[in-house]
Amino acid sequence: MKKYYALALLFTALTTIIISCSKSDDEQYIEVSPVRVDLTQVPYAKLSDYNFFDGPMKNQKPALDVLIYEPASALFTDYAHKKRFVWMPKGTKATYDGDGKTLILPVGSAIIKNFYYDNVQNVTPVGSTRIIETRIMIRKTTGWIFAEYVWNAAQTEAYLDMAGSNTTVEWKDENNIVRVVDNYRIPSEQQCITCHKFNELPIPIGIKPQNLNHNYTYTSGSKNQLAKWIEVGYLDNNLPSTITSTVDYNDTSKSLDLRVRSYLDINCAHCHQTNSHCDYRPMRFAFSETTNLANMGVCVDTQDMADFPPALGKIVNPNNINRSMLHYRLNTDNESFRMPLLGRTEIHTEGVALIEQWINSLSPCP
Amino acid sequence: MKKITFILTLCLFSSWSFAQDTCASSLPITAGLHVVAAVNGTDIPSPICADNGVIAGTNGRGEWYSYTPTQNYTVTITTNITQNNPLRDTRFHVYTGTCGNLTCYAGDDDSGANYSSVDSFNVIAGTTYIIAFDNRWSSTGFTFQLTEGPFVPTTPQRITYTTQNIPTVNSSYNLCVVDMNGDRKDDIAGVSANNLRIHYQGTGGTFTNSDFPIANTSNMPSWSLAAGDYNKDGYNDLILGGQQAVTFWKSNSTGTAYTNESFSQYVFCQRTNFVDLNNDGNLDAFSCHDVDPNVYFMNNGSGVLTFYQSGVTPGATTMGIHTEGGNYGSIFVDYDNDGDQDLFIAKCRGGAGTAKFNEMHRNNGNGTFTDVSVAANLYDPIQTWSSAWADYDNDGDLDIVVGASSTADGNHKYMRNNGNSTFTDITSGSGWDTNTSTSIEHVAHDFDNDGFVDVLGGGNKIMFNLGNGTFAPANYSGIAVGGIGDLNDDGFLDFLNGSTVRYAVPNTNNWVKVSLQGIASNSYGIGARVEIYGVFGKQIREIHSGDGFKYMSSLNAHFGIGAATAITQIIIRWPSGTVDTINNPAINTRVNVVEGSTLAVGTFANSEFSVYPNPAKNVLNIKSNDSITMKNASVYDLNGKLILSSSIVNDSINVDALSTGSYILILKDSNEKEYTQKFLKE
Repeated sequence: MKKYYALALLFTALTTIIISCSKSDDEQYIEVSPVRVDLTQVPYAKLSDYNFFDGPMKNQKPALDVLIYEPASALFTDYAHKKRFVWMPKGTKATYDGDGKTLILPVGSAIIKNFYYDNVQNVTPVGSTRIIETRIMIRKTTGWIFAEYVWNAAQTEAYLDMAGSNTTVEWKDENNIVRVVDNYRIPSEQQCITCHKFNELPIPIGIKPQNLNHNYTYTSGSKNQLAKWIEVGYLDNNLPSTITSTVDYNDTSKSLDLRVRSYLDINCAHCHQTNSHCDYRPMRFAFSETTNLANMGVCVDTQDMADFPPALGKIVNPNNINRSMLHYRLNTDNESFRMPLLGRTEIHTEGVALIEQWINSLSPCP
Repeated sequence: MKKITFILTLCLFSSWSFAQDTCASSLPITAGLHVVAAVNGTDIPSPICADNGVIAGTNGRGEWYSYTPTQNYTVTITTNITQNNPLRDTRFHVYTGTCGNLTCYAGDDDSGANYSSVDSFNVIAGTTYIIAFDNRWSSTGFTFQLTEGPFVPTTPQRITYTTQNIPTVNSSYNLCVVDMNGDRKDDIAGVSANNLRIHYQGTGGTFTNSDFPIANTSNMPSWSLAAGDYNKDGYNDLILGGQQAVTFWKSNSTGTAYTNESFSQYVFCQRTNFVDLNNDGNLDAFSCHDVDPNVYFMNNGSGVLTFYQSGVTPGATTMGIHTEGGNYGSIFVDYDNDGDQDLFIAKCRGGAGTAKFNEMHRNNGNGTFTDVSVAANLYDPIQTWSSAWADYDNDGDLDIVVGASSTADGNHKYMRNNGNSTFTDITSGSGWDTNTSTSIEHVAHDFDNDGFVDVLGGGNKIMFNLGNGTFAPANYSGIAVGGIGDLNDDGFLDFLNGSTVRYAVPNTNNWVKVSLQGIASNSYGIGARVEIYGVFGKQIREIHSGDGFKYMSSLNAHFGIGAATAITQIIIRWPSGTVDTINNPAINTRVNVVEGSTLAVGTFANSEFSVYPNPAKNVLNIKSNDSITMKNASVYDLNGKLILSSSIVNDSINVDALSTGSYILILKDSNEKEYTQKFLKE
């Protein structure tokens, strides 16, 4: 009985293949993106409901028309790895609004970001990849919404959860050293909007031309990401001839100044720029504004000294990291002092080293 | 030749490195220039008499000198001199006393150019002063200069402070100065993961500390902490305002153990408070939410709390419902003098939205609140994290200093209460208009006991209330808001800053402290209004759990009365409605008032019921209105101790077992409402 059943299944499958093959021979077959973003239904209860990925979801293989992208510099989130994707409805495309401004995406678009660790020690099997969460932003007619999906232990599905939670991750880093994040934070909806907003309206952060104007190695080869977006029809072909662009802060072939400005832009500017969460403080960390050292706090007085020693009276004190509030705030994991306010619980050692190198390179205050 | 140079160098170096390396081997100096080859002595200067705290780790070093003037001078010690090129980042401390028992006398870190150090101070002929440099910033050598100038007497300050480090005050969060064992003396409650460390204040300001292990994971009070006895067992409990959620640490009935009650709901806490929101005699709790509407916790009367979020939880009352939050400094105050606790929220938020506008919520007296921000003239975009409320002009209502943390949307405002639920901006010329120091902390206390409430905000200065509508700054090195209370029981307010206590040195002003013991109201009288009367007129205080932004300060009402030598009357208006009056109390002491203890026997605090006979012998009969059914009776002595608790049978209770004397009777009706009456037992 069992055997017959299997045979029957095989037969059906073969027939299906034959039919579909002959069909594509007869007429021009156009493969259609399986992605489903029904604005009346989203956010769905499960990540798989969107069909963003081909095959087992945990392989993170984008489905047709789901385009991978990567900003030049990345936000530090407790050493989590990330894969980012964008999808737009057929026939729609994004428009340019300025080098340092978020691309204007058409209604129905989705941007998808998976957070994961490799070589994780506190999972079964030990040493496997653990995808923790997938953060999605969807452009509705009324504006952007957030959808947060938390992956199950089996890594077969992720479920909508807007309330936020914590999890412990133990992994071996590239140097085979075991590291632990005790309280990795999966954000609540309110935490999403705290960073992702401009004048209190939700907005994506990473997809700015300044962050995408560099080559990415696609399966089809290396290509400038903006050119790729234009090629696949995701971006209007009306970009200016030059785009003032951020760099990868890890790229030591680039100037220290550009690396630091890129780091501050992606890690700090979402709150510290005009019309954002904390614009009442004097720093302006957006890449477009940091050509001015004063906007980075160099030789600028700290505005509010409550709970800080007087030594931290300057935001950045040239060649004096011990008397620079910026350095202090990055080099602590105390949650009432650390910056960024959300998104990390650990100290980003490499980022702090970069900031130290930069502070020590600055000329004295006038 | 080479060898000789080497030996010579060694000798010279040795003499430099050993002669002044310890306090005991301090090098005597006179006026002039002195070269410090390197800061490498093994004796690390302590206590720290300058800014920027102790040296972390094991690399601290010191260089020691002693100076004994031959006559009185005003001397200056400086490293801000041309001999140092470039100028060095130095720090020094000046002590009196003997090695091992040094007291700070002067000192400086950064008053000179390029972080060099300068301080001037008066010295007395024949007294030895120890001068010690440390390597807080650098071990590099430098030259310092001591100059002797003519003795210039200093103008006395309104109040001065001495600091003392208490090494055992070393919890992760040392934010809280409040009574923890019921004796109404201010203690220090320190919070670490899984441990509550309490320093209990004994006689003469001595401390003994106890550790209480706390099981399970708690949210740490990284944003604020408040204290209140929400399970009403006589011992204060804590609310810990964390970055993701709220935790309560609740005492047991003897104050000998504490348990963790953590809530899972996401709250980016800012200021937290205890307050009796529905006036049932049991404390509820409140937390500002940074990025969402505010949350509160209702007490069911048995110390069990239920989570509510304004504008979100069905049936929740509205105490700040802006969807973007921006709520930083909540404080419960009776702004309209109607006897209940209203809510002011100091708000802060970037961008062009409305989340930054401060809010005033009027208590409707029935557990609900109405937003009256605009009507009260307090709807203001100033970026403030806390605002200081007090009756600054002693006219019987609460005024407000809206303290700016950033001047991006306007500087500080001083607003006078007009007595009709509205406020008028009287900033101009008040001293607040010219104060450019910003802070997330602004608290109101009478620091110098002159009878006018002062404000401590930013800039290491107290803004002293001159009593004429103006405030004048006075600088104190290192002074900052912390837990505030009377940590040596001398009637002058002290500060806890980390593990350092900043003790006020008493001046000649007189004072009184009032501690409260609630019976029908919550145990420490949070929300009570305390009034004193005398030749100075009238002063008022309210008992707040949670003022400023982060810290928790004493629940005792603290009054200075200046040169006045008497107080004619203290009146306590309890949240329950009971009014206690004490005539001609002693001054320069703490007056403890048990709720209802001054009610005259036979004076009915209400019209709902009466008791007879009074005095009673065996049985006390209770006659209540037709509409009320009395269920339970509790009898307290005048020290607030529970003597008897029973259900009411046949409208009476048996008091046969009571000793002769005065008692306070609390009756609870079928709706859990409480009523107070005093009676005599014969």
